[in-house]
Amino acid sequence: MHAQRYRGGADRPAGVAAAAAIIAILALSSGLAADGRERAFVLDNGIRVFLYEKRDLPLVHVVVGFDAGSKDETDATSGIAHLLEHCVLFRGTTTRSGAAVAADVRRHGAYFNAHTGLDLSVFEVSAPAAEAAFALRNQKDILFGFDIAQAEVDAEKEVVLEEFDQMEDDPRLRATDLVLQALFPGHPYGRSVYGRREVVAAAKAEDLLAFHRRLFVTGNCAVAAVGDFAAADMEGLVREVFGPLPKTEAPAVSAPPAGPLKKSVSRRLERDVEGGYLYLGFAAPGYNDSDQYAVNVLVEALGRGVNPLLPALLRGERDIAQTVETAYLANRHGGAVVVSFRADPKDIPALERAAVASLKSARNASYSRRDFPGQAGLFAFDYLESGKNQVRFAAGRADESGLQLAASLVRHLLLNTREAPPRYLDAIGRVDSSDLRKAAAMVFARGEHAAVSIVPGKRRK
Amino acid sequence: MTRRPVRAAAAALAAAALAAAAGPPAWKEQPRKTVLTTGLPLIYQQDEASPMTVVGLFVPGGRAAVPEGLDGLATLATRLALELPDEDKVRDLMAQSTRLTFLCEADFSAVFIECLSENLEAALRVAGKVIPAPLMSGPRIGRAKEMMALAAESEADDAVAAGSGAAASSFFRGRGYGSSGYGSAASRKAIGRKDVLDFHRRFFTSTNVFFAVVSDLDRGTVQGFLEKHFSGFPGGGRPDVPAAAPARPADLEVRLAKEAKQTYIGRAWALPAPTPGDHARGSLAEVLIGRGPGSRLWDLRAVERLAYNVGARLSWMRGAGILEAFLETGSSKAGRAVGKLDGTLRELWDKGVSADELEAAKTMAKADFLRSAETKVERTRLFGRFEVIGLGFEHISGFFGAVDAVTAEDLNSYIRTVLDPGKALKITVGPGRTGAGQGG
Repeated sequence: MHAQRYRGGADRPAGVAAAAAIIAILALSSGLAADGRERAFVLDNGIRVFLYEKRDLPLVHVVVGFDAGSKDETDATSGIAHLLEHCVLFRGTTTRSGAAVAADVRRHGAYFNAHTGLDLSVFEVSAPAAEAAFALRNQKDILFGFDIAQAEVDAEKEVVLEEFDQMEDDPRLRATDLVLQALFPGHPYGRSVYGRREVVAAAKAEDLLAFHRRLFVTGNCAVAAVGDFAAADMEGLVREVFGPLPKTEAPAVSAPPAGPLKKSVSRRLERDVEGGYLYLGFAAPGYNDSDQYAVNVLVEALGRGVNPLLPALLRGERDIAQTVETAYLANRHGGAVVVSFRADPKDIPALERAAVASLKSARNASYSRRDFPGQAGLFAFDYLESGKNQVRFAAGRADESGLQLAASLVRHLLLNTREAPPRYLDAIGRVDSSDLRKAAAMVFARGEHAAVSIVPGKRRK
Repeated sequence: MTRRPVRAAAAALAAAALAAAAGPPAWKEQPRKTVLTTGLPLIYQQDEASPMTVVGLFVPGGRAAVPEGLDGLATLATRLALELPDEDKVRDLMAQSTRLTFLCEADFSAVFIECLSENLEAALRVAGKVIPAPLMSGPRIGRAKEMMALAAESEADDAVAAGSGAAASSFFRGRGYGSSGYGSAASRKAIGRKDVLDFHRRFFTSTNVFFAVVSDLDRGTVQGFLEKHFSGFPGGGRPDVPAAAPARPADLEVRLAKEAKQTYIGRAWALPAPTPGDHARGSLAEVLIGRGPGSRLWDLRAVERLAYNVGARLSWMRGAGILEAFLETGSSKAGRAVGKLDGTLRELWDKGVSADELEAAKTMAKADFLRSAETKVERTRLFGRFEVIGLGFEHISGFFGAVDAVTAEDLNSYIRTVLDPGKALKITVGPGRTGAGQGG
């Protein structure tokens, strides 16, 4: 789940973390490649850096991230991270106005955007390769040279409130936001990334500056650059631009682990939509949990690809689900699996019951041909191999998008707490059918879930 | 690790990039067109950025080729071309994680086979049997129609997509280019099995279809696979589907009622058919008006605080283009937003662009173009689209030159001729009693 600054450009689907994380983990856990295309180091001020040569197109992609998201807010500041991210991107610095930043970005042929999530804030820029120095300097200036007056905050608030309206009009964004809130009651993850309207409306410049001073510091920062450059040259440039920043330690991590949902919750909204939407959320392992690999494969096997398993598990009710999708959000303090459906509005209650029962039964499912005795395996679908191959497919696709690659590298630099995580695809390759049953039991067996349905309002009935 | 002096490193980086930019535009490997032994053309580009292959099979025809009253037929026929007749084939593709997708545009439809390159031959073996001779049974047609109805609902739930559909429908009177890709409930019901079979027989022929492929594999390998597994297309004449010209609608105001917090307000113009020059001019106009921070519409967000989403959108067909400028605003602000949007567009029309603004737009347009074609699947689509609309696949390399050739005088003349605010189609999607259309 993340909020993003403006539509257009190379948008990524909201809320889907699994694919984006794959290549980063793959890259970082493999060490420097034999051909020297990768380079990882830490600046003296604590900024973690990863560089990756991708020389198929004359573009450079730079992503700067901070361990600062909605998890770092309180009820009284819910929405500040999101508003700050807007202001950093569009409202200028100590030396340039927001309009000047926008004009500079445009003059250099750059695309820039940002995303706020539960855990992180990331700021991305993509530019022609000849503009690599501009890309780095621009990101450093807007992020470490941030300053803002109240009038600018007031101006950006209105844009943020428009974004609220847009999110609430979009059944998919709205349902995802509500499901995550319901899934983590009492935990910082239970606050909407978009925040509370009244907090945003009342926000002061000093609130933003205080949040920025506390969390947008070098010890809390990672930089990734991917593109058409020689890694040695880019290292020099990164050291020149980001090296002189003063060292500031990251604040201590404050959020506790997100516990399991104690009681299922269900919420129904009526909107002017054409069909019915059902979103189910289940608590899942977090980013540093060794079970994440099995959950990734499970999610792929259940709801993605040519022939996902979940419709088959719905048995007699399979025809009432018009579409099925699954997503795994591997957050630092606890993850979520979100299963979403399109269905005829009148079928939504039955679908929720059938889907939850089916997902509970996933702990007993046969995922591999080897789960079947004798000749029966020859005629069975191998959901295990399918899920693994879909992860490989996603990794291959991620190789093609420089911005996505850089964003996932930054995400890994900031979220990973393991000393030596395994190579991602190696770990995926070791997942077996019993691991999937164990993961399904962990995520779905208790049945506690958060459900949000959005159906047409009375005017459309 | 050896450290080089910092200034030298930065200079080396910039010099290397500039040297690359000064050579042939952008692509390390130039795409090439050949003809397979089966007679099917192949546009091929090798790209080792990932171990993936995307094969696009393009079928000229598209919405323009659909008979009156059968809206959705091209989509339905293309969707059914991917129907796998038995579970063994489903199982094979599933295990390999190969993806079969399709799209239907104004002038063509296409199917895409996207896979790990190691699985390419296995994927083509299955697809090569199915696509030329798909199983089009009544139940399969019925299921595909249900999926189209669902997709049409999703499209209607997206105000920007709904606004775009309304623009095409108005300029082409709801026919051909202006028809709905997914059809209406009535048109879907009217489509019979014979219609689908006839459409498939007419357009999925060896004289009409062509391939575009981007892969890390060498061309000879892929060519061999395609010749081996796609020899089953029947012959036939090349269907003549005229390129329709847009017509100015009698009523320039279109309103779609939707109970929502936000109102979509759009302005749309029909553009001249896409020659390389007009394609470049249209692309520059799109960037100038609504692509990202610093565009003309950006101030409606940053200064006027009217919207979160402001933008421009350009679509091309053989006979024309359509450029839309739009914003989504809180419904209480709709009246003021209409006035500001029209004022901004009128100022562009009245005063044109400066040389500096044009240079920035050129840089932005070229970089945006590269970003839009970075992934293999998007580049494959671009090859096919350029080929069908008459620009030719080579335009992926020629685009930079065409953009650089546009002068401020050219572009201002184009804007004066084409983007007259008084002749713009005015589209509103939102609550019925908005202030849209009242000015402000």
